[in-house]
Amino acid sequence: MQIDWLTVAAQIFNFLVLVWLLQRFLYRPITTAMARREERIESRLSEARKARAKVEAEAEDLREKQERLEARREEVLREARQKAEALREDLEDDLRKEIEARRTSWQDHLDDERDELAERLRHQAGHQVIEIVGRVLRDYAGSDLAGQVAGTFVDRLTDLDDEARDKLRAAAERADGTATLQSSVPLKPAARSQITRAIREYIAPDIEVDYREDDDLLLGVRLTIGEQTVEWSATRFLHRLETTLDEVIEGGLRRRAAGLPDPDDSAEGG
Amino acid sequence: MEINPDAWVLYEWRGLPLNATIVFTWVVMALLVVGSWAITARLSEGETVSRWQVMLEVIVTTIRDQIAEVGADTPGRYLPFIGTLFLFIAAANVLSIVPGYQPPTGSLSTTAALAICVLVAVPLFSIGERGLAGYLRNYVQPTPLMLPFNIVSEASRTIALAVRLYGNVMSGTVIVGILISIAPFFFPIVMQVLGLLTGLIQAYIFAILAMVYIGSASRSRRRSDDPSTNHTGD
Repeated sequence: MQIDWLTVAAQIFNFLVLVWLLQRFLYRPITTAMARREERIESRLSEARKARAKVEAEAEDLREKQERLEARREEVLREARQKAEALREDLEDDLRKEIEARRTSWQDHLDDERDELAERLRHQAGHQVIEIVGRVLRDYAGSDLAGQVAGTFVDRLTDLDDEARDKLRAAAERADGTATLQSSVPLKPAARSQITRAIREYIAPDIEVDYREDDDLLLGVRLTIGEQTVEWSATRFLHRLETTLDEVIEGGLRRRAAGLPDPDDSAEGG
Repeated sequence: MEINPDAWVLYEWRGLPLNATIVFTWVVMALLVVGSWAITARLSEGETVSRWQVMLEVIVTTIRDQIAEVGADTPGRYLPFIGTLFLFIAAANVLSIVPGYQPPTGSLSTTAALAICVLVAVPLFSIGERGLAGYLRNYVQPTPLMLPFNIVSEASRTIALAVRLYGNVMSGTVIVGILISIAPFFFPIVMQVLGLLTGLIQAYIFAILAMVYIGSASRSRRRSDDPSTNHTGD
């Protein structure tokens, strides 16, 4: 086994050439390409990191904005609720006042109607009563109602106490001897003379009596001498009847307002 | 049986013989260079990489990692030399399955040439790394008395490197030749396969040993702490 030194020299040369060639065609291109790729990947990663940081910052920003919007929305909603509440209270207040006004107006109207009804009732009842009484008197006592009234008035005049009689006498003196007698129905001459006699006997002997008719009296007689007045009439009874009717109507209304049933229908009829 | 490719003279020009060793070396060189050029001419730096480029990248990075594992701080600096050693020896050995081919590594001239290259490269890399004084100081460590032994050590390990590669490769060729004459079927194929493995291992060992020598000479006196220096006794 020998070493051929010429071959050794050639092989050394060959090897060095191969080193240079491979460095030229293999190692440098490959390492450069890998380095560039790594660099590129690194730069891309860095870009991705930057982009991610940017996106995260934007996301944070958006989150903050959303929170602000949410807070603003809550605030607006709260304000709107407060306004709506205030408006509701105002409207309720207005409505309550209006209802109150209507109720008052209705109450007034009702009062007016009641008063009117009472007035009508009083009139009708008075006339009815007078008519009935007069018919009864005519049918059963054989005398007319005016005559009875005159008689009753004379009885009353007779029964007057001394104090009242003195007052009437004083008034007659001041009134120049004139008396006015109002009656609801025309008095017959007999009744007139009976009344005139009674007045002259008990109050002033020379007094003149002026007879007039007044429908308001319904049934009765009113003697006016100066400022003094003596009256006997059905008006007072009718007033009492009116009071009773008022009480009955008032009681019915109160029960109706409270939602209670009428205790007795016959109460209204009586 | 001709087992020394040096003696196989293909052409002679004015007394200069062109033997099979040189010719097959050129063949190997041409394959390596043309193959590398063909692949690296269309290198991609993007995400899509051809499988051939991947293969080259794997080879180059593996060699670089091996160099780094031996202890070099800058593997790129030694990559051309060590990488070429490995690729040349591996290619020369692997091609031995081609009929008619004589591996140039089976010639003592080639292995001696490679060993001489390593012998020269060790001081060159060391001087480049630490300076001339730093390299020369290595020979008088730990005492100047060690100078002759260090010189003998340098020379002997170069010879050992050359003979190891030559012996391994030539033995493979010799064994295959003997087996063909004794048992012409089947066994030579097994031995060829074994020869491929041995060839690659030898390429690896040669390259790694060269790197170990260069590395141990280039670094300061930390060799005693470095377990990789055990390879020197191989």
